Amino acid sequence: MERNPMRRQLASMRKSLFDQGYLDEQFMELEQLLDDANPNFVEEVVTLYYRDSARLILNLDRALERRPLDFSKLDGLMHQFKGSSSSIGAKKVKAESTLFREYCKSGNAEGCMRTFQQLKKEYATLRKKLETYFQLARQIGPMESANRPK
Amino acid sequence: MAPTLPSSDQASDQDNWDNGRLARKRQLLIEIVLRNKLTALVVDGDTTCRVLEQLLLRSYGVQTQCVDNDRDAVALIASGVKFDLIIIDMILPVLNGLEATRQIRDMGVHCKMLGVTICSGESERQVFLAAGVDVFIEKPLDPEHLVPILRELDGQ
Repeated sequence: MERNPMRRQLASMRKSLFDQGYLDEQFMELEQLLDDANPNFVEEVVTLYYRDSARLILNLDRALERRPLDFSKLDGLMHQFKGSSSSIGAKKVKAESTLFREYCKSGNAEGCMRTFQQLKKEYATLRKKLETYFQLARQIGPMESANRPK
Repeated sequence: MAPTLPSSDQASDQDNWDNGRLARKRQLLIEIVLRNKLTALVVDGDTTCRVLEQLLLRSYGVQTQCVDNDRDAVALIASGVKFDLIIIDMILPVLNGLEATRQIRDMGVHCKMLGVTICSGESERQVFLAAGVDVFIEKPLDPEHLVPILRELDGQ
């Protein structure tokens, strides 16, 4: 059992992100892949994702304002966004991306617009949760170094 | 460090994943040792995917180059640079991954090509395979799919 209350809080936060379906196992794979190189690297990758995908979100917003909708273009943009989101394990965001692409394929404009609004909510919610998680992880990091036996 | 379980509940599915499957995946990450120097090209328009795929390959000691569009990929290969492995997405900024794959194969390039992309269905898989990739992998690229391929390329 974790003695350190902050580590317990971090573990609980992490478990909650998976239990509530915000993240999937791909996030764990990232942690395994990247932790050896640099303990903050997962945060750096997630920051890269949000920075890079902001452009896609903007392009999707613009494309959804045009009339008539270009479903092929929308699908292409969402294809890229879904790939990016799946690479960090963003489970709910990925699910909305899948739904959006299905609406593109069936030419359902209302479905696309509605799903995109939900996608943006999930995207923003995950960002906030991960920011809080990484902030706590960073606080714990230096504490661990200070307490490590010499 | 022994994994910790919730004090009063049975282990959740997530805990079982953590304890069992994670250990297996971790094993895949460390157990392969390449005897030969392998080279790879990653062709992906998305920065996050490109960075992670490159990192994964490099973690196995694969010398990896990246390009963010199909035109540059085709130009690089046409210039004579050789790779043991090419990882290519289906949707790319200039042409598309299918056309780039065809052009690369038409140049007489026979190296292993992995189509790593978001999949919408069997028809997409078949189309990418018909264009010339050897293996179709749904994103994200993971060790379970990659390690057997690297072993094969390494002659293990």
